[in-house]
Amino acid sequence: MSLSQKKKKGNQAQSKVFPWLFIAPHLVIFSIFFLIPVVFGIYISFTDWDLVSSPNFVGLANYQEIFTNQDSIFYTQLRTGLTNTFKFVIFVVPFCIMVPLLIAVALNTKPKLGKFFQSLFYMPSLFAISAVVIIWTLMFNVTYGPVNKLLGTSIPLTSTMPYAWVTLVVVTIWWTIGGNMIIYQAALNGIPQDYYEAADIDGASSLQKFFKITLPSIKGQILYTLVVTTIAQFNVYGQPLMLTGGGPSDGTRVLLMYIQQNAFGSGQSIAGIASAMAIVLGICIMIVSAIQFKFLRTKN
Amino acid sequence: MKKRQTSKIVASVFLLVMAVVWIVPLLYGIFTSFKSQSELLREGARLLPIDWVLANYQELLMDNTSTPLVRWFFNSLFIATMNTLLVLFVVSLSAFAYSRLQFKGRDKIFTFLLATMMFPGVVNLIPLYKIVDMLGWVNTPWAMIVPGAAGAMNIFLVKQFMDNIPKDYDEAAQIDGASELIIFRKIILPLIKPILTVITLFTFTGSWNDFLWPSIIFNDIEKMPITSGLQLLQGMYQSKPTLLMAGALIAIIPTFIIYLFAQKYFLESMSLSGGVKG
Repeated sequence: MSLSQKKKKGNQAQSKVFPWLFIAPHLVIFSIFFLIPVVFGIYISFTDWDLVSSPNFVGLANYQEIFTNQDSIFYTQLRTGLTNTFKFVIFVVPFCIMVPLLIAVALNTKPKLGKFFQSLFYMPSLFAISAVVIIWTLMFNVTYGPVNKLLGTSIPLTSTMPYAWVTLVVVTIWWTIGGNMIIYQAALNGIPQDYYEAADIDGASSLQKFFKITLPSIKGQILYTLVVTTIAQFNVYGQPLMLTGGGPSDGTRVLLMYIQQNAFGSGQSIAGIASAMAIVLGICIMIVSAIQFKFLRTKN
Repeated sequence: MKKRQTSKIVASVFLLVMAVVWIVPLLYGIFTSFKSQSELLREGARLLPIDWVLANYQELLMDNTSTPLVRWFFNSLFIATMNTLLVLFVVSLSAFAYSRLQFKGRDKIFTFLLATMMFPGVVNLIPLYKIVDMLGWVNTPWAMIVPGAAGAMNIFLVKQFMDNIPKDYDEAAQIDGASELIIFRKIILPLIKPILTVITLFTFTGSWNDFLWPSIIFNDIEKMPITSGLQLLQGMYQSKPTLLMAGALIAIIPTFIIYLFAQKYFLESMSLSGGVKG
C-alpha cells in the first residue's frame, strides 16, 4: 500500500466518526433536555404524580377531571385559564402584526432619523418582562401615573374590567413589536422598485400600491410572523402575573399561571393534573399553528 | 414625485407619534429612578425630577443584605454568558456537520430536529424540572445554562447561512491537505461571524430575560438571576416605585450593550433569514 493510499484510507475512517463528534454535543443535550422530557411529560399526564414520589398510572383520570368533572376546581381552572389565554391571543396578535407592519412601511420611506426610530421601537424587546412590567406599573399607577393623568380618570386601570385587558395588550405590544418590525423591513427592502414606478405611471394611489404591491409581496413573511407570534403569545405568563395579578377576579388569569401554580406552587404538587393541562395547552398551540400553516400553504 | 413627498410626510408624522408613545415610558422610568420617593408621591406625573437624587441606586447597590441586586446581576451575567458560549460551541459544530460533512442518516436527523421545533415547549416544563432536580441542578446556574442549548432553531439558522458559502472553499483547502477541523476553524468559522453575532444577541438576551423557568428552579434568593429578583422586589417594594425603577434600569443595561455591538450584523442577517422564510 502506498503512502498516499494509506493516508486516504485513514481519512475515510476518520470521516465516518468525525461528523458524529461534531453533532454529538448537541444531540446529547437535545436528548436529555428535550426528547426525554417530551416523552416523560406525556406519560405523567396519565399519572397522579406529585413531583416527589413515583408516579402511578391513572389512565385518563386527569383528563376526565379537567374536562368533565364540573364540581372540580381543576375543571374551572382549565376553562378560565384557556378562555383567558385565547382571549389574550385574539386581542394581542392582530396588533403584533399590524403595528410593526405600519411602522416598517413608514420606515421604508427612508425618513430622517430612520435608524433612531428603528432602534427605539426595537429596544423594549431587549428588556425582561419583569423590567417592562415595573415601568408600566408606574405608568398605570392611579395616583401618580401619567396615563391616568392624561386620561383624566381615577379608575385603577390594571384592576378594572375591561381596562385590565387593554393594559395587558398595550404593554405586550410595546414590548414585542421589534422582531416582527425587522422582518417586515427586510422583506420590504426586497421588493423591486420597478413595481412601484410602473404603478406610478398607471396613476395608482398610495393605498392601491400598498394593497396591490406591498402586501402581496411580503405575504410570506406576514404569515410566518403570524404563526410565530401566535405560538409565542399562547405562552403568555409574565404580564398577567405581574401587571394585573390575574385579576380582577381571575378575569385575566391565564392557563400557564394555573399550570405553574398546580405543579410548583405552595402546598402539595399536583403535577399530574398540571401536566394534563400543559398537554391541552400544547395541543391547542399545535392545532392553531397547523391551521395557520395550512392557510399559508394554500395561499402560496 | 409630489405624491411621494406627501406619503413621506405622512410616514414621518406617524413615526413621530409612535416614537413618543415608545419613548415616554422609557424616559419616565429613567427619570423616576432619579426622583426621591416623596417627590414622586408629591409631584405625580411630572416627567423630570425637581431634585435629582442617587439614593435609589445607592440603596440597591450598597445595601446588599435586603436586596442582593449586585449578586443577582452577576448571577445573570454568569448564566447568560455561559449559556451563550455553550450555544455558540454546540451550534457551530452541529451546523458545520449538517451543512458540510457527509454521513449516514444526516438528512434524516436534521429533518427530525426541524420537526421538533414545532413542538410546544410548555409540555416540557414539568418533566424538565424533574430531570434538572435529578441532576442536582435546582438552585444552580446549570439548570439554565445547559437545557438552553437543546433547541434546534439556531442550528437551522447557522446551517442556512453556511449553505450559502461556496463548497469550492472547502475543496481548495482539502487539496492543500487541510483536515475537516482546520476547514471548520480557519475557513468556515470566520465566514459565519455575522450569524453567530446575531445568535449571540438572541441567546444572551433570551437567557438574561428568561422569566418562567428561573422562577421554577430558583427559590434560594442569593442564587437567583436578576429577572426573578426584580419580581421579588416588586412584591416587596410596591410602595417604593423609585427603587424598583432603578432596579429595572440596572437590569436592562447588559442586553442593551450587547445590542449595540451586534446591531451592525443584525439587519443584514435578518434580511437573509427573512428572505429564506418568506
